[in-house]
Amino acid sequence: MIGRTSAAARYLLALLVGELRVLLPVVAFLAVLGVLFGGDPGPPPTPWAASALAIYPTAAWVALVVANVEDPVQRTITVSAAGGRGAVAAATALVALVADLLLVAVAVLFPLVTGRYEYPPATLVLGAVAHLACASAGTAVGLLCARPLVARVGWSFCLGATAVVVTAVQPWLPPVGTAVHALSSGGGVPVGPALVGLSAVGGAALLSWWVDIRR
Amino acid sequence: MVRLAGVRKRYRGRGEVLAGVDLEVAPGEPVSLVGGNGAGKSTLLRIAAGCASPTAGRVRGRPPVVGYLPQAAPPPARMTVLAYLRHHAAMHGAGAAGPTTATAVLDALGFTGDRAGPLVALSTGNLQKVGLARALACAGPDAPGDPGEPPLLVLDEPWTALDADAAVALGRELAGWVGAGRPLLVADHTGRAGQLAGARTYRLSGGLLEPEDVPRGQPDTWATVLLRCPSAPAAALAALPPVADSWDEDGLLGLRLPAARCDALLAAALAMGCSVVGVRRGP
Repeated sequence: MIGRTSAAARYLLALLVGELRVLLPVVAFLAVLGVLFGGDPGPPPTPWAASALAIYPTAAWVALVVANVEDPVQRTITVSAAGGRGAVAAATALVALVADLLLVAVAVLFPLVTGRYEYPPATLVLGAVAHLACASAGTAVGLLCARPLVARVGWSFCLGATAVVVTAVQPWLPPVGTAVHALSSGGGVPVGPALVGLSAVGGAALLSWWVDIRR
Repeated sequence: MVRLAGVRKRYRGRGEVLAGVDLEVAPGEPVSLVGGNGAGKSTLLRIAAGCASPTAGRVRGRPPVVGYLPQAAPPPARMTVLAYLRHHAAMHGAGAAGPTTATAVLDALGFTGDRAGPLVALSTGNLQKVGLARALACAGPDAPGDPGEPPLLVLDEPWTALDADAAVALGRELAGWVGAGRPLLVADHTGRAGQLAGARTYRLSGGLLEPEDVPRGQPDTWATVLLRCPSAPAAALAALPPVADSWDEDGLLGLRLPAARCDALLAAALAMGCSVVGVRRGP
């Protein structure tokens, strides 16, 4: 079962690599990072507050592309091959989380390469965990707005954009608000928000599976 | 053995498509489904393959490995034939020999496309052969008696878009599958699946299954007829006696029917003003 789920994840990853649609959010995110860290961003971790905010919609967009990477008829083939709808739901979440880790690594390492400030390990951990909290929250939003829950990609976009805009600007709201707040106002490592974000991904995958097996 | 018990399926806006279907698919006893357009054959196959859930009723005894071929699945945009077969063999858990098994099926079906090229570049017939190879190789190489549960093969109109040689080759592949003691469920309007050894044919109509008597064909009891008709192929087909299969062959109308009814069809075709280009008997 685990072998077949990881094979399904590798298959989805291979489909994604051949898919230009996933480049769009990634390029947009890199452009934002370039603007943020191009000049003098100031000492860490404050500049990361902006990149953590930017990783949220990026991760949602990437998760949406991952979940919708296959045509619905082709998806039935993948479901029968991987041994069920649960395996495909798990593989989709897995691939989206791998993409999150790559985005987090890029966002955290970008100012190290271009910047002139000291980045002690504790600061790096703070930045990485805060970004992970925001990225996983984005993944959860993306999965909730994608197939099989939302069939039409136009609705997916509207719902996702609304969810991101409404939740990103509440500084008290975990995981994004609290994680960004920790970066901008010198709080502790936002482990709690990161766990909330990862749990939300698990919950979104479960909900997708639950709705799918009722079709 | 796969058992469907009291399976119902209701779609919003389409009403009840399946109204309590009971069906058993046993190893070595292929089941062939026939029925009109929209009768619910594809829905029933999706449920049997585990890709859709019944609104009511149950499916029991589905093996862990299912080779499923739906109709008209658009191929992934940029994946090559070999990469696709490799990934699907891995998902099926077909082992290291899975991809080799799939390419062997491609050879047997007379695949003529570029294996290192993308799926989207393939013709409809070659794409169908890739889908068949993927499904038939779901359990890896043929084993006399599978180590675990034998895999289930679910095919939706597998003879679609195949040329005459590939169609005969597919019959041989499926006979081999059934001969290895593996269960097979096919929706097939050409009547070929019903001729497999031990096959049972059911007609799906009004959401229910009825056993259907299919006359057993001897190897030479099928006729292939090529006609050039003055009217459009669809109009000519509607005016002719019923046939098992029809296709367009470079502007000619190709027909396949039991040889016993061939003379009556030719008489009707000539009376309509069609010209008979060729008649062939065969399996």
